[in-house]
Amino acid sequence: MSAFDAIVVGGGVIGTQAAYHLFKEGLEVALVERYDIADGTSSHCDAVVLIGDKMPGIDTEQGYASIQRFKEIVQEVPYDFEFKVRGLLYVCETEPEMEAAAGYVADQVRDGYDMQMLDTKDILAREPYLAKDLIGGFWSSADATLNPYKLCYALVNHMRAQGAKIYDRTNVTGVLLDEKRRVKGVETDRGTLLAKNVINCGGAWAPELARMAGCDLPIQPRKGLCLISEKAFPICSQKVQEFGYMMSKFEGINFTRNVSERVARTNVAMVIEPTDADNFILGGNREFKGFDISAEIESIQAIAERGIRFFPILREMNLIRAYAGVRPYMPDHLPVVSEVDNVPGYYIAAGHEGDGISLSAITGKMIAQLVTGKPTDFNIDKLKYSRLQKGGKSIEQ
Amino acid sequence: MNEHRDDDVLICRCEEVTLGEIREAIQNGARTVTGVKRRTRAGMGLCQGRTCERLVQQILRAELGNAPEEIGTSTVRPPVRPVSFGSLVGDEGGKL
Repeated sequence: MSAFDAIVVGGGVIGTQAAYHLFKEGLEVALVERYDIADGTSSHCDAVVLIGDKMPGIDTEQGYASIQRFKEIVQEVPYDFEFKVRGLLYVCETEPEMEAAAGYVADQVRDGYDMQMLDTKDILAREPYLAKDLIGGFWSSADATLNPYKLCYALVNHMRAQGAKIYDRTNVTGVLLDEKRRVKGVETDRGTLLAKNVINCGGAWAPELARMAGCDLPIQPRKGLCLISEKAFPICSQKVQEFGYMMSKFEGINFTRNVSERVARTNVAMVIEPTDADNFILGGNREFKGFDISAEIESIQAIAERGIRFFPILREMNLIRAYAGVRPYMPDHLPVVSEVDNVPGYYIAAGHEGDGISLSAITGKMIAQLVTGKPTDFNIDKLKYSRLQKGGKSIEQ
Repeated sequence: MNEHRDDDVLICRCEEVTLGEIREAIQNGARTVTGVKRRTRAGMGLCQGRTCERLVQQILRAELGNAPEEIGTSTVRPPVRPVSFGSLVGDEGGKL
């Protein structure tokens, strides 16, 4: 039986960041992962660390803070994870999209973020292989990219070299509580681990871990599909997204696109980015299909169709792999980063949906602040577990 | 895989991954074909592991002595061979 200050459950981007930040605070940390490090969503997603896909307010505030924290982590950890700040280009097909984009950019600029509207000439200057009939878009300079599974390996390799305990291929089977429902540790299939703090970083699988501590968590798996191109010359040099992506991500945004039935049915919006290996990741969509991550032909075709609409040169390029993953979806689009009030010592950091890579650095930092009793970098009352009630809706709604 | 082979032998030709890099990935916790793939890119190239997957399995077996069912295979995903985005959509540009 081993004793620690904190046990982090889940070896994806959120868990490895939480463990790293706790370790950095001088705590004795154990990281427990059921399979291999980065085996779930963190190796079945794309690679972006964006603010320009987030709602104005705390969503963007966290995203920006996370990017700044990543810049420090690059200096702290002696392993590369392909982090680069290279910006984000949005493109618009129609006037209503341009109007919605202008409203979004105005809100973000008012909050102090560097975003600017662009016309056709501007977007073609940035990305010459874009379709020539697009009417404009906008640019956000702060946005970044990284390789999520390399990030996990970098943090784990660094922690392991410094003496942290990494229990991969170790399945948590129960949470140990004392008579006052205070956390005492976890049971695993490889024995008992003791700690007064347990952090659930299970992502889409967080609800089953939460149930072990008697907590309901309304996270659902939301599937996203990505296509990988063959290696090629740079057909794009940064993340490029159609503004309609915002519509596939959030409900209740007021514009509709002129797309084929297939694209509408599969909820596809064009997102593309170059990788360090000179492949391109083309996406994407969001669908509720449980934990099924098969790559369905209709979704593949819809993503290809939408990709070609914005980057006609893709027509001649080859697809080498299609893969899907599940994102941990929260009904109110905000993660839980919080201690659970009636289970002292039990923390949850999960429910980031498609923002987990982006927000992992600041989430890890805030978990370390919560566990060590320090003030968080900014007010995260909206991320509290206590906002949830039965049915999974936020109390405010 | 002969244990006396040099670390600089190329295993994955598409992504130019050497035996030494694969051995290092195993030291860093890779236990499966997929674990090696994510840590080294072996099998991520144009042929999607058709050439190197059997070699990677043999290296894992030689280094760890674990069973074939533990080593596994990489996950099979479409397409079965490279296919142009254009042919996926059809000539009418998506009006399938």
